[in-house]
Amino acid sequence: MAAAIVLLVLIPLGNKNGYIDNVTINLWGRYLAFAIVAIGIDLVWGFTGVLSLCQALFFGLGGYAIAMHMSLHKNGAQAALPDFMAWNGITELPFFWQPFQSFPATLLLGLIIPGIAAFILAYFAFRSRIKGVYFAIITQALAFAAYLLFLRNETMLGGTNGLTDFKVVLGLNLSDADVKLGLYMLTAATMLGVYMGSRKLVHSKLGKVLIAIRDSEHRVRYTGYSATAFKVFIFVAAAVIAALGGMLYVPQTGIITPGRMDVQASIEMIVWVAVGGRGTLAGAILGALGVNMLYSYATSAFPGSWLYILGILFIAVVLLIPKGLVGLFANFPPSIEKEKWSVQIAQLARYTKLF
Amino acid sequence: MKNINIFRSLLIISIVSFMGACSSGPTEIKEASADATSETQEKVKVGVLHSLSGTMAISEVSLKDVVQMAIEEINNAGGVNGKLIEPVIVDPASDWDLFAEKSKDLLLKEKVKAVFGCWTSVSRKSVLPVFEENNGLLFYPVQYEGEECSKNIIYTGATPNQQLIPAAEYMMSEEGGGYKKFYLLGTDYVFPRTANKILKAFLLAKGVPESNIIEEYTPFHHQDYQTIVSKIKKFAAGGKACVLSTINGDSNVPFYKEFANQGLTSGFCPIMAFSVAEDELRSMDTEYLIGHLAAWNYFQSIESESNKKFTASFKAFCEKNNLPGGSSRVTDDPIEAAYISVNMWAKAAAKAGSFEVDDVKKALYGLTFDAPGTTVKIDERNHHLHKPVYIGEIRKDGQFDIVWNTPGLVKPEPWSLYTSPDKACDHVDHEGTYTVTSAQ
Amino acid sequence: MHTLRIKLFLGLLLAGLTCFGANDSGRIFRKLAGNHPDSVASAIENMVNDGSPEYYYILNALLESSLYTHPRIVENAGLVTALPDKNQQLKLYSCFPGGKELHIASFIASDLTEIKIPRKTRNLIQPVAAKIQLYHWNPEKKKLAMKSIAASGTIDDLALLQKVLANETDPNVIKAGTDAINQLSLLLPDAADRLKAIDGLQENNSPDALSILAAHAQVEQNPAVLKHIQQAVDSIESRNRRTEIAQNLFTGLSLGSVLILMALGLAIIYGLMGIINMAHGEFMMIGAYTTFIVQGIFIDLVPPAFFNYYFWVAMPCSFVIAGLFGILIETLIIRHLYNKPLESLLATWGVSLILIQLARTIFGDLTAVKAPSFATGGLELDSQLTLPYNRLFIIGLTIAVIITVQLLLSKTTLGLKIRAVTQNRNMSACLGVPTGRINRYAFFLGTGIAGLAGWAITLVGNVVPNMGQTFIVDSFLVVVTGGVGKLLGTVFSGLGMGFLTKMFEPFFQAVYGKVIILILVILFLQVKPTGLFPAKGRSED
Repeated sequence: MAAAIVLLVLIPLGNKNGYIDNVTINLWGRYLAFAIVAIGIDLVWGFTGVLSLCQALFFGLGGYAIAMHMSLHKNGAQAALPDFMAWNGITELPFFWQPFQSFPATLLLGLIIPGIAAFILAYFAFRSRIKGVYFAIITQALAFAAYLLFLRNETMLGGTNGLTDFKVVLGLNLSDADVKLGLYMLTAATMLGVYMGSRKLVHSKLGKVLIAIRDSEHRVRYTGYSATAFKVFIFVAAAVIAALGGMLYVPQTGIITPGRMDVQASIEMIVWVAVGGRGTLAGAILGALGVNMLYSYATSAFPGSWLYILGILFIAVVLLIPKGLVGLFANFPPSIEKEKWSVQIAQLARYTKLF
Repeated sequence: MKNINIFRSLLIISIVSFMGACSSGPTEIKEASADATSETQEKVKVGVLHSLSGTMAISEVSLKDVVQMAIEEINNAGGVNGKLIEPVIVDPASDWDLFAEKSKDLLLKEKVKAVFGCWTSVSRKSVLPVFEENNGLLFYPVQYEGEECSKNIIYTGATPNQQLIPAAEYMMSEEGGGYKKFYLLGTDYVFPRTANKILKAFLLAKGVPESNIIEEYTPFHHQDYQTIVSKIKKFAAGGKACVLSTINGDSNVPFYKEFANQGLTSGFCPIMAFSVAEDELRSMDTEYLIGHLAAWNYFQSIESESNKKFTASFKAFCEKNNLPGGSSRVTDDPIEAAYISVNMWAKAAAKAGSFEVDDVKKALYGLTFDAPGTTVKIDERNHHLHKPVYIGEIRKDGQFDIVWNTPGLVKPEPWSLYTSPDKACDHVDHEGTYTVTSAQ
Repeated sequence: MHTLRIKLFLGLLLAGLTCFGANDSGRIFRKLAGNHPDSVASAIENMVNDGSPEYYYILNALLESSLYTHPRIVENAGLVTALPDKNQQLKLYSCFPGGKELHIASFIASDLTEIKIPRKTRNLIQPVAAKIQLYHWNPEKKKLAMKSIAASGTIDDLALLQKVLANETDPNVIKAGTDAINQLSLLLPDAADRLKAIDGLQENNSPDALSILAAHAQVEQNPAVLKHIQQAVDSIESRNRRTEIAQNLFTGLSLGSVLILMALGLAIIYGLMGIINMAHGEFMMIGAYTTFIVQGIFIDLVPPAFFNYYFWVAMPCSFVIAGLFGILIETLIIRHLYNKPLESLLATWGVSLILIQLARTIFGDLTAVKAPSFATGGLELDSQLTLPYNRLFIIGLTIAVIITVQLLLSKTTLGLKIRAVTQNRNMSACLGVPTGRINRYAFFLGTGIAGLAGWAITLVGNVVPNMGQTFIVDSFLVVVTGGVGKLLGTVFSGLGMGFLTKMFEPFFQAVYGKVIILILVILFLQVKPTGLFPAKGRSED
């Protein structure tokens, strides 16, 4: 709850009074959009044990939907042809671009299309009991194939350049400081909403079944629950959440390219959740914010070697703190009994002797 | 077990951070040049926005290197307006979102007075709104497709009429070989698409029948050119055919290899490339490319004192700072353009006596600079650079024999006369791109 | 007294006149040796106008940038040709008359001064270039010259072609010459001659035959000849279809073999240790860079005659070095992650980032590996079907690796232990099998094979820091479809993927082909969720 106050009240006030500049607001808006995706990933991986390496694809689908809408309304005019179509020699808007002229349709399609794609994949995969590593690899291949498809010019989605140069959304000018603040607050609010919804889900009976599936799918089936149905449901939910994150991300970034949905991007998203601590929703958010802040910082401060830092981070997290940052803090809470403290200190002493 | 765990992990961390520290060259150089001169001198910051990792690193790292070298030279000569230049180097990592983010950082947080950066059109398009919103100044050193005219970008790379058109004219001329059939082959993205649109319009305007022009595209990283080369072979069967190639990146190696494998030679059907320069040739087996052509505004083999000095300095710079390749590094067109960018900015700032973007811009219009190749000039109106055009023939050693060049500088036309005759670019009397009325 | 002076004067005059007239070639050579663009151009013009085939050798050398002057050569104004032989060593040849090898004591290449021919002049030679190149010493050039004469010549050139062909010994050149003659013969007035020419073209079945015949059909008047052309075209086309299928099969096989090499290592590692190694592509990259380094060493330290051996030396090096890196990673990181596939995925992803950046820092982004000479060119089974040697080599290598690994696993004690640990780790440990060491050996094996794949790939692909990324997704798919129970699974699925990809390519583009393959894999997994040959043994939850 404290977090909610900070995000929704303090930061916007700070911005209005000049303490926090617009760049930071914009940055945090994007980070929070990532956090939304991370929550979805945590739901499907942390709680249900299904590793999906194509979340960036769903994120991208949502992003492309809103981008298509914004491209069509560049100058507030109706249905102007996007630039890249001009140099491709296309004179008429392709059929699949038409529905994106209206905002409500965009919203709907942006969430439904990833949902349907996720449903088809999940249904066929889980129905035949593909799980664990095999499923992860399938999702990875899907992400790769989709990335290649979006790269092509024939798909008429901008090819490698993607879609960019957005000026207006819903009549609001994107470069206006107030609009940026508004988008930030919208993203923060959505994130909190998704977080609370997920918390309720996780603590409900549905959530318990999901955790049970993670711990032992066989036994869940024995007890009569249809594990497939639950897995499909949560996978689709995660996909829709990711798409939602994408839709909030793109207006704040100003560009969407196929590079945002390739295999590497998907794996990075998984890493956020792993670093933060999977199985705890707060951990997912923490990881998303933390890793992205580190990424932004490191690419400026260590331009030649930030990849080493990121690489070591992954390895260190996996080896040393499998429970993530949240797990790290959970091990040293202030309310721990005295006995355990002394045991910890003794262990620490033993480690130092080794050096 | 856990002890060994921690011990081992700490070992890894210490090893890799040691390696990381050793390889963080750029920040070290930055500090070195700052320490070497007196601490009391004031600094002016400029941003360097080139990918140092990811897929574009291959091309962009050299630009960062030459920008650093140019800054070092200027600082050694006393700096600009009494201040030393401090480069702020960031790595947007071939991530277009990150380009936008970093440009915001540079302009708003670091408050740099100018930015030298970008390579791909995507990266430039992603940062354009940021520069326009915040009135920054970006110097863009790479050949591009034109059709842009931002008031916050200075384009030191070639427009289509400064590379493509002269090359096509050369191929059609007696001296170039009098070719009559043209195979336009490119990688599938905006630059080749637009380039070919302009080339085709030009060729048709010059009377080449449409049946003598074929246009074809392959995706990025395409490796298998067997079918395409056999198509070219059929096309060229009657003679007097050539290929105008905008193939990009690592697809070039398999393309040239396949071309030679199927028996096509540079004498029979030469390939005129627009995206192959000395830096790319470093990594290719040049046996297959000898005799083929390229069109640029600069070649390392230009025989002038200033060019010899420039090339030697760059090689020495790379050697001194332990950059990969050392003294076997080469210079090429984008590298020269980046060098020109830094020097033009410095000269303009000195002329204007200020670092403010609007003042520098005004000082840039019409400014000349003695570039390594030849003296160049920023256009008085449209933010582009007047450059000469050279046609070069690839040699065994990866350098070019210059076989033709324009007698003087070519005026840049960001809007091609062949495809957009009704548009032009002017920042003095207009706000950039404007529609030309018949009265003009 | 005057008679002597007059005789002397007349003698000198006569000598001067003879020098003037008879020593044209001497003047030409001196002009060439002067190496000034105008004099060179004028000399060339003289030689071309003269027209005698004796000058053709020099003209060809000029076109090749192989004409030089050497200070210690006396005749022909010091002009010599210098051409590289098989081992890249420059050898000197006389240029007028041409082709005789010359030997000079302590010859250094830097003594040579190249005679440069301006591009303008080269283009002016273009019209007669073909005729000049008929006399070239390089068979490839001869073939090309014949082709271009056939394409733009007339019946009068027939005699010239036949004359040149009469002295020819190289079978490839004879074939090209026959084609050229047949192509020109199509212009002969007598229908019987034309019929013979058509038969000849069909028999040789060169790549241009179809287009030549088709072009001629447009202008042919005689109906009997037209019918004959149609028959010839049909038969050529059906022959081409068959060879195209063969070509696709071959390319599918070669693509599949690369996938198999990569997937073998992955399957061993995953099957044995339950580790998903996302850094596997980077071990392949390590193998490729090792080859590059070995090549560099050979260039610096070993005489050029032995250059080609670098390739064989690099093979064990790639295997061992990739394997050693594998052991390093295994000891530091992997050993804590057994049977935690999802964690290992993340950790090895981190490793892959580090390795890629290391390669980038050390080598930069631009490296080139020159193929050894035996690997260039191909086995020409048919005029349309060439099997490149490098791809044949890779296929051969894959077969050898598969057999070796299979023997290792089935016939040796180590293989037995590996299989035991794969099936049931705990039980094997109880029986005294040192599982820790076995893990390391298996990891060494798996990554070593990846290194070998990298070594082989240098023949066909680029060597860049992120080259592993292009193969990793496909390799994983192969492992998934093949299952980790038996080696055969990987082999079958690798071959299958290779063939299917190549089969789809002509119809769809490569990208759509990938999507289709993916869908097929998903459908396949509906039937066999754990792959073709799943791991045996009881699995707990």
